[in-house]
Amino acid sequence: MLSIENLRVVYHDVISVLNGISLEVKDGEVLIIIGANGAGKTTLLRSVSGMIEFYDGDIIEGDIKMDGTSIKGLDATDIMKRYGVTYVMEDRPVFWYLTIEENLGAASFSRWDKRVKADMEEVFGYFPVLRPMKGKRAGYASGGEQQMLAIGMALMTKPKILLLDEPSLGLAPLITEELFSIISQLNQTDITIVLVEQNAHAALGIGKRGYVVEMGRIVLDGTAQELLENEDVREFYLGSGKKERKSYKDAKRYKRRKRWL
Amino acid sequence: MIDLVQTLGSGILVGLVYALLGLCIVIIFKASEAFNFAIGEFLILGSFLFYVLFFNETLPWHRALPLGALIFLFFSYVLFFDISARFLIALPSGLVTGFLIFCVLFFGLNLPSLVPSPLLRFIIAFPLGLLAAGIVGSMVERITIKPLLGRSPISMTIVTLGLGFFLRGCIQLIWGSHAYPFFLDLPDITIEMGDFLFLSDPIWAGILSLLTFGLVIVFLFRTRWGLAIRATSEDQAKAMAFGINARFILLIVWAISALCIAVAGIMISNFGALQVGMGFVGLRAIPVVLIGGMDSIGGALVGGVIVGMCEALAGAYLEPMGLIGFKDVAPYILLLIVLFIRPYGLFGTVRIERV
Ligand SMILES: Nc1ncnc2c1ncn2[C@@H]1O[C@H](COP(=O)(O)OP(=O)(O)O)[C@@H](O)[C@H]1O
Ligand SMILES: [Mg+2]
Repeated sequence: MLSIENLRVVYHDVISVLNGISLEVKDGEVLIIIGANGAGKTTLLRSVSGMIEFYDGDIIEGDIKMDGTSIKGLDATDIMKRYGVTYVMEDRPVFWYLTIEENLGAASFSRWDKRVKADMEEVFGYFPVLRPMKGKRAGYASGGEQQMLAIGMALMTKPKILLLDEPSLGLAPLITEELFSIISQLNQTDITIVLVEQNAHAALGIGKRGYVVEMGRIVLDGTAQELLENEDVREFYLGSGKKERKSYKDAKRYKRRKRWL
Repeated sequence: MIDLVQTLGSGILVGLVYALLGLCIVIIFKASEAFNFAIGEFLILGSFLFYVLFFNETLPWHRALPLGALIFLFFSYVLFFDISARFLIALPSGLVTGFLIFCVLFFGLNLPSLVPSPLLRFIIAFPLGLLAAGIVGSMVERITIKPLLGRSPISMTIVTLGLGFFLRGCIQLIWGSHAYPFFLDLPDITIEMGDFLFLSDPIWAGILSLLTFGLVIVFLFRTRWGLAIRATSEDQAKAMAFGINARFILLIVWAISALCIAVAGIMISNFGALQVGMGFVGLRAIPVVLIGGMDSIGGALVGGVIVGMCEALAGAYLEPMGLIGFKDVAPYILLLIVLFIRPYGLFGTVRIERV
């Protein structure tokens, strides 16, 4: 179980982005995190995966625990190797100038052994479109193929927990659907999944539980069903529900948010 | 005509050494987008490390001891903090390493008396010297470059500028600034055919540089470490996210780079003598990589050969016309012309553009 306790993160010592987030990821579940642009979702995943230091961010308060032991401040590589937490960054993190096969090879660097070839076959089993183009540079693959490759690369690291950062970003709805069905398929094989999404409707379709993040805080949590029925969620993330804002304060906050972005 | 072929041939041989220098710049640039301005100092340092082993040059105790102590501190620190070895292991291993280094520096390796054959001696001392250069390269990376990971490449580049001055000062302090005679005594493979004459030393330099170049390429493109280096070169963040320790990869890259520079340095020293002032030869790498393209390995090879030929041609045909010293300027003029036509160099990467 991964638990995040009252996490506060600042960038460059001054830009406070996470203002005390607490949440829990239970083993074997698909957890959905939704939130608008700039809410701090990516920052949250960076903190968990140990990448935050690379972006000159600091965890100034709170703790991140894997089954009770703190993983705060560990190296990204350590967190991946020892605790099986793999972070798939937003915007299709594939190596453009390497071929698809080399990409999968590079991702298995931390655990190189005899089984790498077999695991590659397994990835091609999940994503058959990748197989015929494995000698092609990843930069020339389509967006959907790149996202599939990115998830395939994450699988090569043998993750226990997969942190997916907006995998549906910029993909056609049909591809998104395919991707999400593979994600829930992966979940069947005992991989815990944390899915960060703006595409709330599709995401809540495959998750049981979700959190809504706003300005670095959790503002709402509940089962997928509850969230789908919640009026605020419907208004802000599903584009339906009541047309006029509930209160002037909320509206103002959204305006201000946009200006700062 | 014979003259021209002769000039071009010699130019190519020297050009291969320049290509190796270019390669050192290119792999660091690809990995961290920083330009290593300390290349000249690495070149002298590598040559001196080899010199110490090959010619049994010893240092007085007041120079050898501080160096040994420094190595001891560094190794214990790295073992303890970076590799998180236990204190009881880190301290003694650091002590042993420091003591060994001190012994080598103070008493010498005594290779000349142990191994009489110069070729065999070279075969032993060469890899050892390169290893030493690689280790020093990684030490320098650990101290100066590693803390800058994720920061702007410009700051890294500026650090290498300062590093160059610092290293030069250190070398001067340790070995002084006089010239050391440098004669490798490799088997004579002078080629003399009809009117052609290619001297043994440049041929050795060309062969060994090309060999090193080839080995680096094999390492980069045929091994999984090479794959990790190429991945990290493309994007450090992505590499880290997929479990590649970008910090360590950067260290490896610096070690390889320092090692290759040492090969070039030893070959260049072998043309004349070894002294601190020789460092400026390293700056030949600038026209090489700019002509070939900053991020192209093949470009480094082509650029090196072009610069070598350009220099030889200018030396043979333009200098006699009264333009003394034009040889050193010619590559830069060529560079200007190339940059006018192709601002990214001849072989700069074709970027993958998508919308
Ligand atoms: N490296 C960084 N340095 C400074 N500010 C950053 C950095 N990364 C993100 N931010 C800021 O942190 C806020 C949250 O960003 P992010 O975590 O990317 O949000 P989300 O992924 O939810 O869109 C944004 O206002 C963004 O400008
Ligand atoms: Mg984001």
